Order: sequence, then structure tokens, then C-alpha cells
Amino acid sequence: MTNIRKIRMALLVLVGLVLGSVSIFGDQYTKLLLMLAFLYMALGQFWNLLGGYAGLVSLGQQIFIGLGGYTLAVTVLYYGFPIWLGVLTGGVVAVLFALVISPAIFRMSGVYFSIGTWVVAESLAIWFSNWEYVEMGQGLFIKPAKQLSVSQLYYLAMLVGVGSVALVYWVMRSKLGLALMAMRNDPGASETCGVSVFRNKLYCYLISSFCTGLTAGVLYLNMVFIQPYKAFGIDWTVALVFIAIIGGIGTIEGPIIGAVIYVLLQQYLSDYASVSMLALGVVAIIIMLIVPKGIMGTIQEKLGFEILSPRRYL
Amino acid sequence: MEDYLQPILNGILFGGLYAAVGVGLSMIFGIVKQVNLAHGDLMIVASYLTMILISGMSFLTPWTALILVIPAMFLVGFLIQKYLLNRFLGLGMEPPLIVAFGLSIIIQNGLLVLFSPDARLLETPLAIMSFRITDLLYIPVIHLVACMVGVALIILLHFFLSKTFLGRAIRAASDDENAAQLMGIDTRNIYAWAMGIAIASAAVAGTLVGTTSIFYPHTGPQYLIIAFGVIIIGGVGSMAGTLLGGLVLGLSQLLGGKIFGPGYQLLSGYIILLVLLAIRPQGLLGRARRAG
Repeated sequence: MTNIRKIRMALLVLVGLVLGSVSIFGDQYTKLLLMLAFLYMALGQFWNLLGGYAGLVSLGQQIFIGLGGYTLAVTVLYYGFPIWLGVLTGGVVAVLFALVISPAIFRMSGVYFSIGTWVVAESLAIWFSNWEYVEMGQGLFIKPAKQLSVSQLYYLAMLVGVGSVALVYWVMRSKLGLALMAMRNDPGASETCGVSVFRNKLYCYLISSFCTGLTAGVLYLNMVFIQPYKAFGIDWTVALVFIAIIGGIGTIEGPIIGAVIYVLLQQYLSDYASVSMLALGVVAIIIMLIVPKGIMGTIQEKLGFEILSPRRYL
Repeated sequence: MEDYLQPILNGILFGGLYAAVGVGLSMIFGIVKQVNLAHGDLMIVASYLTMILISGMSFLTPWTALILVIPAMFLVGFLIQKYLLNRFLGLGMEPPLIVAFGLSIIIQNGLLVLFSPDARLLETPLAIMSFRITDLLYIPVIHLVACMVGVALIILLHFFLSKTFLGRAIRAASDDENAAQLMGIDTRNIYAWAMGIAIASAAVAGTLVGTTSIFYPHTGPQYLIIAFGVIIIGGVGSMAGTLLGGLVLGLSQLLGGKIFGPGYQLLSGYIILLVLLAIRPQGLLGRARRAG
């Protein structure tokens, strides 16, 4: 067992070194692709934390993406915040908003939760497109973000991506993670054993919203331009759901592989945006029909091969 | 006060239309216990289908085209349930939810590829007619028709479910799947029939929304949320509740638009919806449902 762990550690260090040196050897295009993959991977991890582990299938992650992006834009443009502080404030605003809406949306369960979160996002889209403070539907141009180089953005995205994996790994190894897995397997029994279902779900939701807001800030440093119907659009969640489903819902490796596939698919079909979305829909349905556990979930089941398992060994 | 009569009247008329939008989703949610996230998109498919039929055969109107559109959409619903969603029965809420989500994305982007993102409208001479009641109060004929067709659709479905053999079999399968199977009902086939009927009702709703307002390939989710609002307010599977849900949503949108400005029309509907969802997740008329 220790041998396997050593090999695994060596593998992870090697992957880390290769990714870390991309900004020296890689060209601009590779850096951009990997940067997107890191960011989508992080967003996928945080959707997965809710949908795959806490049983909260959210269709409203774009709430926090929009809030993170807009907070960055407003703080940097109107108040002259340094960029890093704007990104951080984005996370804080996202988590505060999550805290405010949580008493209401946590009364809804299952499908009602999914739809409730989506309606909140749609409401925000309408609100922001009628709000003069943020230039209404016109959107904001985050000009100061232009001063960042691609390499700087790449390292920032890598930090966020690797950080997201480490964070979810740590959460799943913690008491919260144990409680989540118990809740997922049998909510009734775990509640009887003293697991507070509501509190644990809330912690998960808050962690996910903060990190999603933060990641969105970094994403918007690259996108530079923010508009309400894009920022609070359901397309974000479409991407995140597919990333988690294709890779494997409820696994840490799933969103990694899912994000890589998503970014590649998006790039290859970038001239045909609607065709690439259509392909995503088809792929997701096929995956649900043939391998409902996703690519990594199925590999784990068949081969017992896990790189990042939160499992404890005796 | 006089100012408010028109939005109230329009809100009531919208209510009948919204009830028609929600009734199919409510049926499937109540009977099959699956959430068809593609419901709104299938409505819009029916709108586009009507559009093609009319442009191909000039003697058809949006209303007479329904003779072809209803059976076609019935078949679509039947096949989707039989060959796709039935495979996920008994696996919980999430897998069919995600499959329907995939279907919704496929439909939206398929429509976008086929028909471009242009705004469309099903044209009918009714759209410019209106009854004058007083100088300040008019009844737009198209909305009156939409409301009446919507209400008729719901009454028809109610009688279908309570009086016909197939309707009773559908309700039996919904109440107790095992007992229905013991009575010789092929529940999987019944679910396919139920979805066919639900999507046929969506076809009617699609024609109604297509004649009353413009639509795009991406309009579906907007109506899905309205359909959900109707269910949340009225409770699952209750026909009276569906009408009430449509009414509350229609009125809150139109009155909200009147008070806060037209930009906030949709928003005020959503806010009422969220508040109700938070206070009474089982709906205003709905009973608490059994687990499982």
C-alpha cells in the first residue's frame, strides 16, 4: 500500500512540475487552454461538492459567478481596489449572498432546490440589467485587468485550480466530508446518529459559493467584459453539470477530466458555438445511458484505480 | 384605481395561458415523478413546427395547424418517455433531471442551428382585434382566446383523467405503481402515454404563446420557469391548483410591471414565486407528499 502511495505522490509532483513550467515552454494558445481548463475544473469541483457530495443539485451556480464577476468590476472600476482585493471581495459578496438566501432556498428540497436556485439567478439577471449603477444591460468593461500578462493569469488560474482540488480533498477528509458521505448514503440514518443535515449542507453551500465567486473573478480577469445575461446565464451551469457528469459525479478526479474534455470540445467547435453545446447535450445523455458514473467513476469501479481518493487506509 | 383595471384584466387572461403552460409539466411531475426540464423547449418546438406548416401550406392558420401539430408532439413525447426517460425510473430525481436538461440544451441549440436566432411570431388576424368596454378598458381578443383555450385544455384533461379508462390507468399508476401492475397495467407504457399527452398539451400551449408573443430558440426555459411557478403555487397534479397558480403568476407579473415598470414584469413574478417556494414548498393547495 505504501508503494502505491509513493508512486501516486511522485506522479502528482511530476504533473505539478510539468504544469508549472508550461508558462516557460508553452506557447500562448496552450497557456490559454490550460488556464480555462483550470478555471472550469475549479468551478466543476464546487458544483460537484454540492451536487455530487451534498445532494444539492444546484442549477444556480451562475448566481455566484455573476456576483463574483460584477463585484470585481465594480470594486476595481468604481473604488480603485487592487485586482487581488477585487477578486477576494467577489468571493465575500458571493458567500454573503448565499448566507442571505440560504434560509429560504434550504426549505426547498430536491428538484425544488434546483429550480429555486435557477429562479434566483434569473431574477438577478433581470435586476442587474435594470440597475443603472452597473450600466444596466450594457455591461462593464474591466479595463484594469488588461494590465495582467497571460503568464500571470495562467499562474493565478493554476493556483485556483490546484487549490480547488486540494480544498475539496481536504473537505472530504474532514469531519464535514464524513458527514456528507453519510448523508448521501442515508440522510435519515445519519441524522439519527447526530449528523446535522441542515448545518452540513449549509457549510457546503457557503464553501461552494465563496470559491465559485472567487474563481469567477479570475475568469473575468481573462474575459474582461461582463454583461448581466451572460454573467447570470444558465449556460454556466450547463457547462458545470456536464463537466461533473462526463468526468464522474461525486469523484474528485471527475471534474478534472471533465473540464479538459469540455475545454477541448469548446475550442475545436469554437466556430460553431451552438453545435458544441448540442454535442455536449448528446454526450451527457449518452454518458447517463451507458456509464452513469462518468468516466472516472467507471474507471474507479472497474479497476479500483484512484489517484485522489478521500478514502482512509488502515 | 382605474389605471389598475387593465393590468388586472390582462393578468387574469395571462393566468389562463400560464395554466396551460404548466399543466403538462404538473401531470408528469405528479404521475411519473420525473421533472421534464425540456417542457418549455418542447413547447417552443411546437411553435416552430406550426410556423413551418403555415409557411408550407398557406391555407393553414395557427389554430387549424394544431390538427397536425398535436399528434406530432404527442408522438415526440411518447417516444422520449418510452425510449429515454423510462430507463431512469426508480433511480431517484437527479439522473432523469440531468437527461432532460441535456435534451433541453439539444433542442435549444438544434433550433438555433435550424432557424437562426431571429424573433418569430405566429401571425393571426386576432392579434390586432380588441373589445372596447370603457375608454380605459379593452379586452385584447388574442389574450381572451388564449385564456379560454387554456382553461378548456385543463377541463378537458381533468375529464380525461377522471372519466376514461386510460386516464384512470394513468392515475392508478401514479398512486401505486405496484398495485397497478398487479391489476395488469403496463406502467411503463402508461408513463409513455402520459408524457405523450403532456407534450400534446405543451403543443397547444406552444401555439398559444407563439401567437401572443414573440419567441426565439432560447425562449423555452422562460416558460419552464413559469410552468414551475404554476406547479409551486398550485401544488402538483391538482387541476384547480394549476388554474390558481396561473392566475397568481399572471397577476403578479402584470401588476408588478404596472407598479415597478415593464422591465420588472418577469422579476415580480419570480419574486412571488420564490417567496411562495420558501413559505410553502408543497404549494398553496397541495398536500404534503409522502416520501418516496
